[in-house]
Amino acid sequence: MRELRQQSGARDSEWRQFRAGWRGGWLGMLAVLFAIHLPAEVTFTSPGLPATHMDDRGRLVEDWGAITVGVAGAELPTTAPTTLQGLKLDGLIPAAQAQSRYGTVEITLIAFRAPVWPGGLDVLTIRLAETGGQETPVKLSLTLPEDAQVGLKTVTLGGRAVLGLPTGTKASQIMREWGWADDAVALPGWAKPSVDCDPAFQNIRAGLGGVPILYHFKVDPKARVKAVLGFCESFWAQAGQRPVICQVEGAPTQEVDPLDRWGQHRPGAVLFEASDENGDGTLDVCVLPKPGAPDQNPILNAIWLFPAKATPNLEQVIAGKLNSNALRYVAVGGSNDQSQYAGGRLEYALKLPANGTQELMFLVACAGSSVPAPDNMAWTSEKLRQAAAAVWRDWR
Amino acid sequence: MQFESLHLMQTTHQCSGCLSRRHCLQIITTAAAGLAFSGEFFPALARSRKADPAFVDPTKLRPCPKVRVDAAILQQPRPYWLGWPGKTYQLDQRQKEYRSQLAGSCKRLGIELHEEAKPIEDDASMAAFLKGVQEHKPDGVLVILQHMNCWNWVNRLAKEAGVPLIVCSPIGTSFTGHVASLSRQPGVYVVSSLEWPPVEDGLRMIKAKRMFEETRLLWIQGSKGNETILDRLGTKVRAIPRNMFNELFDTMPVNEEVKDVAASFRKHAKRVVEPTWQDSLNSARVYTTAKRLMTDEQANAISMDCLGMVSAKLVPTPPCGAWTLFQDMGITCGCEADLFGAISLMLTSYLLDRPGYMNDPVAETAKNLLIASHCVSATRLNGFSQKPAPYILRSHSESALGVSVQVLWPAGAPVSLIRFQNTNELIIDTGTVVSNVDTPPAGGCRTSVEIKMDNIEDCRDVLGFHQVVTLGTHRRIVESFCQLYGIKVIHSPEHRREA
Repeated sequence: MRELRQQSGARDSEWRQFRAGWRGGWLGMLAVLFAIHLPAEVTFTSPGLPATHMDDRGRLVEDWGAITVGVAGAELPTTAPTTLQGLKLDGLIPAAQAQSRYGTVEITLIAFRAPVWPGGLDVLTIRLAETGGQETPVKLSLTLPEDAQVGLKTVTLGGRAVLGLPTGTKASQIMREWGWADDAVALPGWAKPSVDCDPAFQNIRAGLGGVPILYHFKVDPKARVKAVLGFCESFWAQAGQRPVICQVEGAPTQEVDPLDRWGQHRPGAVLFEASDENGDGTLDVCVLPKPGAPDQNPILNAIWLFPAKATPNLEQVIAGKLNSNALRYVAVGGSNDQSQYAGGRLEYALKLPANGTQELMFLVACAGSSVPAPDNMAWTSEKLRQAAAAVWRDWR
Repeated sequence: MQFESLHLMQTTHQCSGCLSRRHCLQIITTAAAGLAFSGEFFPALARSRKADPAFVDPTKLRPCPKVRVDAAILQQPRPYWLGWPGKTYQLDQRQKEYRSQLAGSCKRLGIELHEEAKPIEDDASMAAFLKGVQEHKPDGVLVILQHMNCWNWVNRLAKEAGVPLIVCSPIGTSFTGHVASLSRQPGVYVVSSLEWPPVEDGLRMIKAKRMFEETRLLWIQGSKGNETILDRLGTKVRAIPRNMFNELFDTMPVNEEVKDVAASFRKHAKRVVEPTWQDSLNSARVYTTAKRLMTDEQANAISMDCLGMVSAKLVPTPPCGAWTLFQDMGITCGCEADLFGAISLMLTSYLLDRPGYMNDPVAETAKNLLIASHCVSATRLNGFSQKPAPYILRSHSESALGVSVQVLWPAGAPVSLIRFQNTNELIIDTGTVVSNVDTPPAGGCRTSVEIKMDNIEDCRDVLGFHQVVTLGTHRRIVESFCQLYGIKVIHSPEHRREA
């Protein structure tokens, strides 16, 4: 859906116009013209929906914060003036376009509103073009609000998915020593443990729609640890509804049905003899839905990592009495939980082919909407644009 | 002819000054006996007013999309020798038959067929066909296998065509191993059979999807207007302020069409219990209001906050009676602004060519039955072109206002219960009609149907709300439609859920 494209030619007339303008060598003249005529901001929307705007710095400003896009690379200037203008894509769809030139690299942002039910989504396309005739590595950055949490395919803010990331790309932002790296949802207070236990058992993260719950922990390469996963099922009362598959690196995979093992509202824990089996310095912990199970939304309440030589008593672990002995203690979905990716910034390392382009498309939540789970939608870039055109064509 | 007689009936029987009400109803019933279930009533509604420039032809409201299917026969170079279907398989005759059946199906369904003139029998021809599909992006591709060694081409099409794929594999062209995996793959529908109707069902699925895409649904609720599009199905949802409906209703005259509709609806009823002639006129004005609004907004369907409107006393009648008329014509009009209830109604209309009945589910714990209860049920339960079921005209039970119907569903008939939870998930279960529940003694809604559920131990565990009940067992075609378009299918739990 949101694809990374490599291509040598420009696709749309607006891109061609833009590039032709730059190639004309009338930069100074254009700068003067733009200084006179450029708007301070360009708003766009879809019929009946609240508007979004792009400001004169090329920032896409939403109700949850702004996205600032930048480019860095060897021998590229660190700043570049931005030109902003309004467009009508396909002659119908209101859009904002921001353009900058960092030496031989041109960057163009185009944003429009796709009328995705119920509240719409903004579609932000970033196109980078190399014009100097030589392959150029660049770092594309998206600066987001500080408390934005970056997942595998989406960025969330206060539980709301605000940004859908391009498929086929990998963000290279700063990584924390541990944290989740998935698109599961935190549900604090979801579980109702019926006995005294560690407070972590009150919270979960849930992989709604079958999304795996995935944590990474930085460890010494090949390190061995004892991992304990905690569960408390408070929705189902009958075993067999939500069994999950636990994959802890270096340990045999275990199927866990919390109801079958401990009953409803009863906290329980499972021990794994884990190790950094592939020696990459990261211990992977993953909880997946059991294929074919009636409920395909995996849950997880807590994670403890203990030294390899420790022999944690699971009853004491459940009671929260060994937290201080743990190398890591995670109240999953609770107060000390975190994304593995440091918030606030996304970076993509790209290699622009000589005279070629690369394009990335992001889905952006606008006022009243959130980004749907990427695995649960059928939208493509083509369909989003067709939808926008179709609505504007018939709207009166 | 028919409408003239109905018109006379209406002017004679206002039921206020003539005879007794019971006598009046007897006259109507007797006079209508020959027509009541003739199947002519609702098409006649469409015909009656075409001369009037203000008349909105309801048959034009149902979406009529352009649908394109590219098709090819896949074979191996002749002559055949060993390997299935075998040397004795009558290739020319079979291919002639399949081409004829395919052309017939497409003609019936209004599908534009682009068929390869010659069978594909080598990689180059397949590559050319695939390239054409990728360029033209038809709404679907259909291939008819004529040799077992063609499955690699089918697998390639499934992977690269980028559009839904229907595979017709006549007996003798596949083993279980060929179809076991592919036939369960999203975007693919495989028929391994000598039967042609299941292949036509595949074409029906493609057409139904296009009808979803071509539909603009008016979502009448709240105070704001906007337009959005549903993921996966492509249906446009135009939200309009609720008062647009009642304000337009207030301007709708009691014209000849209104009188005809009101009279006809009464005439064909098995009985008329509460509704007065004035109620019937108001109900018919809802019908003309909805037609006008759909036309003005270029829409094909409605989902309206009817209860809110009645509660606020903005209209003198709920739309129940009018919605029954639309449902019988294949035009979706749903209750309570339940968007996915309306989308579920559309599925039965577009895919199964029959109306659905959106309802509130009630547990009958003494008999372990599900009761499906609501005040809007269509009457043409067996299909839009079939004879209607008997119905009784009642008021809307919660408000005692206007015109609603109690449709008498046929006891012993199989039914399917369908509900889109969202555009990614659909619930489907099946059962059998046991009986119709009267109000009184029961409360609730006017049409109330007891259903014995299949494969569900306890009636309390039936999933969903505002499920759409439709006559017939349609599990396979609905599940196949879902698979073709990436929709997850859910069934109610077979076994009793613990407390």
